[in-house]
Amino acid sequence: MKVALVGNQNSGKTTLFNLLTGMNAKIGNWPGVTIEKKEGKIKKTKHKVIDLPGIYSLSPYSTEEEIARKYIFKEEPDVIINIVDASSLERSLYLTTQLLELDTRVIVALNMADILEKKGIVIDIDELKESLGVEVCLISALKETGIDELIKKIDEEKVSKKIKIFDDKIERKITFILENLHVKNSRFIAVNLLEEDPRFKEYQNSKIKDMIKDLEKNYDTDLEEVIATKRYKFIEKVKARSFRKIKVKEGISEKLDKIFLNKWISLPIFIVIMFLVYYLSVGVVGSRTVELVGSFMDYLSNMTRSFLHSINASDILISLIVDGIIAGVSAVIGFVPQLIILFLCICLLETTGYMSRIAFLLDKIFRKIGLSGKSLIPFIVGSGCSVPGIMGTRIIENEDERKMTAILTPFIPCSAKLPIIALFSGYFFKENSGLVSASLYFFAIIVIIISALFLSKFVFLNTSDSFISELPAYKVPSFKYILKDVFDKVVAFIQRAGSIILFCSIIIWFLLSFSLDLKYGIDIKDSILAAIGKSIAWIFYPILGEVNWGASVSAIQGLVAKEQVVSSMSVIAGFSDKVSEGSKIFGGASIFSTFTASSAYAFMVFNLFSAPCFGALGAMRRELGSLKSLFKAMAFQTGFAWLLASLVYQVGSRIEAGIINVSDIIIVLLLVLILLFIISKRGKKKDCSSCPYCKSCEEKLHESI
Amino acid sequence: MNLSEISNGEKAEVIKLEVDDKRLKRHLLDMGLTRGVVVTVKSTAPMGDPMQIMLRDYELCVSKSDLSKVKVKVIK
Repeated sequence: MKVALVGNQNSGKTTLFNLLTGMNAKIGNWPGVTIEKKEGKIKKTKHKVIDLPGIYSLSPYSTEEEIARKYIFKEEPDVIINIVDASSLERSLYLTTQLLELDTRVIVALNMADILEKKGIVIDIDELKESLGVEVCLISALKETGIDELIKKIDEEKVSKKIKIFDDKIERKITFILENLHVKNSRFIAVNLLEEDPRFKEYQNSKIKDMIKDLEKNYDTDLEEVIATKRYKFIEKVKARSFRKIKVKEGISEKLDKIFLNKWISLPIFIVIMFLVYYLSVGVVGSRTVELVGSFMDYLSNMTRSFLHSINASDILISLIVDGIIAGVSAVIGFVPQLIILFLCICLLETTGYMSRIAFLLDKIFRKIGLSGKSLIPFIVGSGCSVPGIMGTRIIENEDERKMTAILTPFIPCSAKLPIIALFSGYFFKENSGLVSASLYFFAIIVIIISALFLSKFVFLNTSDSFISELPAYKVPSFKYILKDVFDKVVAFIQRAGSIILFCSIIIWFLLSFSLDLKYGIDIKDSILAAIGKSIAWIFYPILGEVNWGASVSAIQGLVAKEQVVSSMSVIAGFSDKVSEGSKIFGGASIFSTFTASSAYAFMVFNLFSAPCFGALGAMRRELGSLKSLFKAMAFQTGFAWLLASLVYQVGSRIEAGIINVSDIIIVLLLVLILLFIISKRGKKKDCSSCPYCKSCEEKLHESI
Repeated sequence: MNLSEISNGEKAEVIKLEVDDKRLKRHLLDMGLTRGVVVTVKSTAPMGDPMQIMLRDYELCVSKSDLSKVKVKVIK
């Protein structure tokens, strides 16, 4: 049997999914559907379970809701488990009233049984079953109670009874439409026809349109509003019968909000929290652990070398294993401890409910540059990895704001770019390395502001002032869930090191060890890689101030994975030890020894802001909708990065040489600020959030289906 | 009166949604802002926008530009 998990955001859906599957979920791409959906097997059964995106309604207007709808209509699950947050019953049951109109069997899983008692709430389950006409199961995903009963309910082939939730006038019309509508999910379609849902146009006819006009006269508003209001009226009645609140007292969430959303201290608290996150992961704690892992990798590399020598392995093989594979892979693996801390912090921000509050706090600032407060969530998630960050842009309703955020998210230094930052700032800015790393994050913020201003004034003109977001109650996150989440992400990172990075390291080693006529044991300058590098090195001349083939080929490899840049440099430098320290890469004999502080900074800037890795490009393509817009976005990112990096080097090297002084820079910056101010005053086009009602949007939507 | 004009701590009943954009209107309706529902204004973000409101036992953040399209009457 196919079981679909449907529910609001923050309803505990993912936790329930993990419980049902016994944490053995695999995450993968669903063929044909543009979403990373989770699929697993319910433990001890043969049922397949699918985790659909968190939604509040099945309206035709939002991407996520459309995905859920499409899944239900095309894949036809046998059972829908509708997870309902018991502490906000009214809003959660709204989606339920829509699901009940489908022909699929629905089981309501009433979640958060554990906090009901604390909130002084009593729910009459039998009454709820009776009113909704479906099975209702009381569970607590956090405390893991009621799960076995829920699984048992899936096997009970009980037919749910169709309940009528609208008044007689509307129900009569539905009955009339149903007489001529013989398809699956007919009641759902009938209601949507009354709402004039453009997705069911094929069933629409003039008779129904007359009925709608007739009814609308009666209610003095459009039928879509009437139907939504009637749903809530029905829910209010159900709630009155089955829900009782015994005591009313201020919840802990409200007390916390008095601090975290306080007018005066909320922003300082936000700054402190974000500082802590990056101080822990990127700063002191993270880099200490990196050194530790680094020295272990050294030990491993030396051990392998002497072992291979002792069994008389050939030089070429030793070189392949030690200088190619181990050097390449360990350059990346060394950063795993930092990643664990970073992923842990981001997961905590997400699960405690603080992330939604950040969007609320900073929305106004983001509006000024044409983005939404919700754009900040992809940015923060993107500091771990751009891919989930870009996918997270789906929470933004406005299409233009969503696309802009998807293009800007890769500008945030992700965890794979950390090795680049750590390597260069550690070696070239020694005692100031922390400051330089931090400066790159600020650099990223400025790049995002400038790009957002540019894009919203010249490319994406239909941004809006709208902001609607639930503020979920604060939650003590499930320890198991966090552990699994962080573990999954770290494993994915290591897997990449073991596959793509390993593969690339071998290729790089091969291209480095052999000359064009395939001779081994040549000077590195005569290698195939050097030949390739020399042909493209001119592109990087304004950034590096020299023709450096090694740096050029390494930067290009950032497209495969950003950490590959460091990996490649370490293989090219021909050493297998102490990569993170930088001394071997930039040491005397290395081809990277000509790097200066300004070219190092410029090189970092290019690698940070140019087109992201293939994984992120794939995610961007999905959100931007077409290959053409992806190429435009890539050209924008890479062009902008090249320009900035050249600027950094040209200015930086002149400061180093004493040609330019600080006052010149201040004057130029002032001019740039004035220019930005003029741009920001540029007018906006009229608001259109691409509803499916006007002609151009409708065509666009049809293309996307 | 608009919902955006209600001060913190006050309660108001929704009378009408004056929203032209169908998508926005449906979104507000889906979140429970239907005629007759009672809304409590809880707080305003530090920079004056958006606002935090409470309805149907949960908390929702909505920008002032959206709330200004919701006609209400204050409940004492």
